Amino acid sequence: MISLATLKSAVQRALRQAAQAKDIQEAEVYASSTGHLLCRLNYTSAIPCNGVEEPKSSEAFGLGIRAVFSGTDGPRIGFGSEARDLSPAAIKRALEKARQNAVPDPEFMSFPAPPQAQPPKLPASHDRAIMDLKDGTLVEAGWTVLREALKTFESSEPLAKLAGSKEKLANLGLIVGGDVSLFRQRIAIGSTRMPKVQTDESTYITSAVTSMVERKAAKGSGYAATTHLAKFKGEAGADAARNAILGAGGQRLPSGTYNVVLGPQPVADLMTNLILPSLSADAFYSCKSAFLGEVGRPVAADLLTIYDYGAAKGFVGTKRLTCEGLPTGRTNLIQAGVLHGLLSNHYETQRLLKDPRAREKLGLNPQEHQDVLIPRNGFRLSNSGGRQFDVPPSIAATNLFIEGSTPHSQESLLASVGNGVYIGRIWYTYAMNGLRAGDFTCTVVGDSFLIQDGRLTAPLRGNTIRITGNIRSLLRQVTGVTKQAKPIVGWSADEVIYAPEIAVRGLQLAEIAQFMESV
Amino acid sequence: MARTLGVKPLTVESLDKIKRTASDLVRHASKNLRHCHYADLRIELVEIKSARSENGSGKSASDDYVFGFGIRVLAGDPLPAPGYFGHRLGSADLPKLTPLLKAGLKQAYDRALANARYKAEMRKRFKELGESLAGLPLAPIETHQDTVKAEYGIDPRSVSLAEVARYTTEVSRAVKGLGQRIRFNAIATSTSFSRELFASSEGTLIDQSFATTLGFCSVVAENDQAEQSLYDYIGHQRGWEVVTEGTRTELIRHLDLLTFSTSLAHDCLKLIDAPPLKATDKDVVVVTDPHYNTLKAHEIIGHPTELDRALKMETAYAGRSWLLRSLKETQLGKSVASPLVTAYSDPSLPGLGHYAYDHEGTPARKVMHIEKGVFKGFMNSRQTAGILGVEPNGSYKAIEASLVPLIRMSNTVFGAGQQDPQKIIGEVDRGYYLVGHRNPSIAESRENFSISAQKVYEIRNGQIGQLYRGGGMTADTKDYLMKVDAVGKDFRLFPIPNCGKGQPMQTKRLGNGAQTMRSRARLTGL
Repeated sequence: MISLATLKSAVQRALRQAAQAKDIQEAEVYASSTGHLLCRLNYTSAIPCNGVEEPKSSEAFGLGIRAVFSGTDGPRIGFGSEARDLSPAAIKRALEKARQNAVPDPEFMSFPAPPQAQPPKLPASHDRAIMDLKDGTLVEAGWTVLREALKTFESSEPLAKLAGSKEKLANLGLIVGGDVSLFRQRIAIGSTRMPKVQTDESTYITSAVTSMVERKAAKGSGYAATTHLAKFKGEAGADAARNAILGAGGQRLPSGTYNVVLGPQPVADLMTNLILPSLSADAFYSCKSAFLGEVGRPVAADLLTIYDYGAAKGFVGTKRLTCEGLPTGRTNLIQAGVLHGLLSNHYETQRLLKDPRAREKLGLNPQEHQDVLIPRNGFRLSNSGGRQFDVPPSIAATNLFIEGSTPHSQESLLASVGNGVYIGRIWYTYAMNGLRAGDFTCTVVGDSFLIQDGRLTAPLRGNTIRITGNIRSLLRQVTGVTKQAKPIVGWSADEVIYAPEIAVRGLQLAEIAQFMESV
Repeated sequence: MARTLGVKPLTVESLDKIKRTASDLVRHASKNLRHCHYADLRIELVEIKSARSENGSGKSASDDYVFGFGIRVLAGDPLPAPGYFGHRLGSADLPKLTPLLKAGLKQAYDRALANARYKAEMRKRFKELGESLAGLPLAPIETHQDTVKAEYGIDPRSVSLAEVARYTTEVSRAVKGLGQRIRFNAIATSTSFSRELFASSEGTLIDQSFATTLGFCSVVAENDQAEQSLYDYIGHQRGWEVVTEGTRTELIRHLDLLTFSTSLAHDCLKLIDAPPLKATDKDVVVVTDPHYNTLKAHEIIGHPTELDRALKMETAYAGRSWLLRSLKETQLGKSVASPLVTAYSDPSLPGLGHYAYDHEGTPARKVMHIEKGVFKGFMNSRQTAGILGVEPNGSYKAIEASLVPLIRMSNTVFGAGQQDPQKIIGEVDRGYYLVGHRNPSIAESRENFSISAQKVYEIRNGQIGQLYRGGGMTADTKDYLMKVDAVGKDFRLFPIPNCGKGQPMQTKRLGNGAQTMRSRARLTGL
């Protein structure tokens, strides 16, 4: 990892070099050093396997420059970057690339000016143990998760009973898959408008594990996310194995309309694939949002509040600064059911403020409601690998929180539903008719149960239910939210969803894949 | 045409200097690293130009390179285990590449050794549950030394970035010019020349080059009552001519990007005036066109025939396969589709899925998946082929050298039938004709699917009638395939540039193809 001091001095040097170029009107320099270390797990009791399949890493550092160049037909904006080199020669090459790549963009206004609000004073939350992590520890982290899963399987009396004896456990087709991912990232940013170079650093570790008792068609999930290695105990492996055991012998569910409780993973999946993309300023600009023209209006049950909070102390997705050098903070997206604000970066905020159709697209005049578009979410994220110097800023959430006006425990939420279905894991959730239409479908793959008399009872068989719904209707049909939430980072997602369990009225569930009973 | 060098200090020729050294380094790995059983090394350099425009204005352009390497080592005794190391590189790394590769090799080796130690410990600790932790030797392949050249009309390296940006904006402007009801459009293009070196400790040395060009169009149209958004791609393993001239070959036929994009926008405009499609609660006759069936081939043939999924290696991510329940219970040799259905993956076909060797140096070859309705086999890698006891078939690919390969589709297609597509429609008294794929949602083991269509038409008395907006169809995979009663002779290949798999996710370009097909399924609506 490159030190913050080195990144900072490279940004300062680059700003000086940019200032000497006569054709540069404005410049912004971003340097980063990011590591993503990952162990992918693959254990199968009935198929030869490696256990830890891929101990691997991807480390990158470098700098990226965005600059506005004078041109005969107006200003041109370009971006250039150089990898693994912060020298004056590399800065020169990045500047040349930015100049060569520049295009006129009439919607570009400027780079961000110094904000009135100071960046939050957060205590240092990065973990030196992750910053300095050695290969042996990476491999150990993977095996720790796997060991916890196998210990859970090995010590389970119900599982031994299903197998016939402890010696025959392997015949049940036990599976442990998933990963342990460690992220470490440092950034420095400065611009001609914000010449004081700012820095930020963070670390976190996530684990998403899927276990199966495949002979019994049972799948269980386990998730863990924390900022410090010392807090990482491999519990996602144990949770996944425990949940797989609970799901053994699941039954089918007849097609119909059910009251449901969505577990943390389905809530996170719906947020990542449908709701957050629709709450992004660019989706409003391009007329693709499911909430087009609805800012300031009710879009969900009035008990529901959703907000993004990048400056929340001690959370996994916390960052002090955006990748545009602006302070992170709390953005109220849906407040008591009303669409209140959007995730935005500086560019999208500026162009919506200038857009003559903004009132129509948003539902109100953004010039009169500038709190709707505060650019707290301009991040440079690439390939789920953390903050990267070689891409310009786009929009991403940080820590997403979902709350109910009357927080429930799981018990009280289940009791409020009475009879219905608990859906613990969904898969392949897509907007089938485009994001704006809001229609979606997905399948239920595990961790799911019948709710009878307010309690979880029989497990449901995975891969036998397809959900069909509309995200706008679903949000309006929310009837309760638990207080407790679990941090979940979805596959290929960057944001951390602190996902509660949510009760929803009247969801369409269809029975599928009956032919599999005879395969 | 003269080549434009831009400000890139690296070109694909930069790899000439390192080719032999890299090969020697990896060949001697098993001698220099005591417990190393196998090592391979991939180095890649891509020269790429790209541009994006929205609503007739430029948004970005780029002329740059992607440079990186990836190393795999299998090491440790008595049970070898894998270790990997990958890096993206910069131009400053070229002079010091040899020490970087040596350090990477050592790091991958150390990871493999640590992994092997834990594997042995866990095997001992967990007794019966530990027995499946195995050495997993790679299935043998013949070693090859080969160079494969790229094919193109206009060399991607010769077209100027200014021209790429100008053309992209021109297309966006043309779409915008179709009227006020076009509310938004985004056009993107890219053209690249890549060179990949693969060297293994067994002596294989492959040097492959590819030219790839893609065009993308996204449109949103709207009237007072309705909106419609569509997006689609054109693409081929050829030069810049792919977007400016289109492609007119026997298997790949697409328009130039300007005509393609304005045509997609016209479809959007027609659709906003069309009524929404209503879902059905029972099966109806569905005729699907080659573009729609391309995504169907991808989702219900390609993915479940990837052996890493079938062997449960993707349980946490991309899912498993209903075609393999256990090593002893598979669908191999069983009827899984109507006798009219044949499906295979063939990297020798042209398009985005074409290649000569995969990323472990295995010669690419056609893999039959379904032959006249009977399931025949999976795409594999050397490791998974070893587990199943079959020959490697060259399906192990990564999207860039620094990332670990996975089993991926090449060109996975439904094989052509004999019938005239007009006749397939003409024989339908009442049914629906689904044209163009949109979005998929597939069950975890690929046993059920839902795929929306760009356009759905009613068929009445053998004639195409009313156009509907939104919707598509859903079915259980085997039921749908068994009910196929007509397969057309109008086979086409299409690009699929965004297939996600792996952790971290690798979004891969590949080819899929199909022809007109008729079966039964339920309609999904808007």
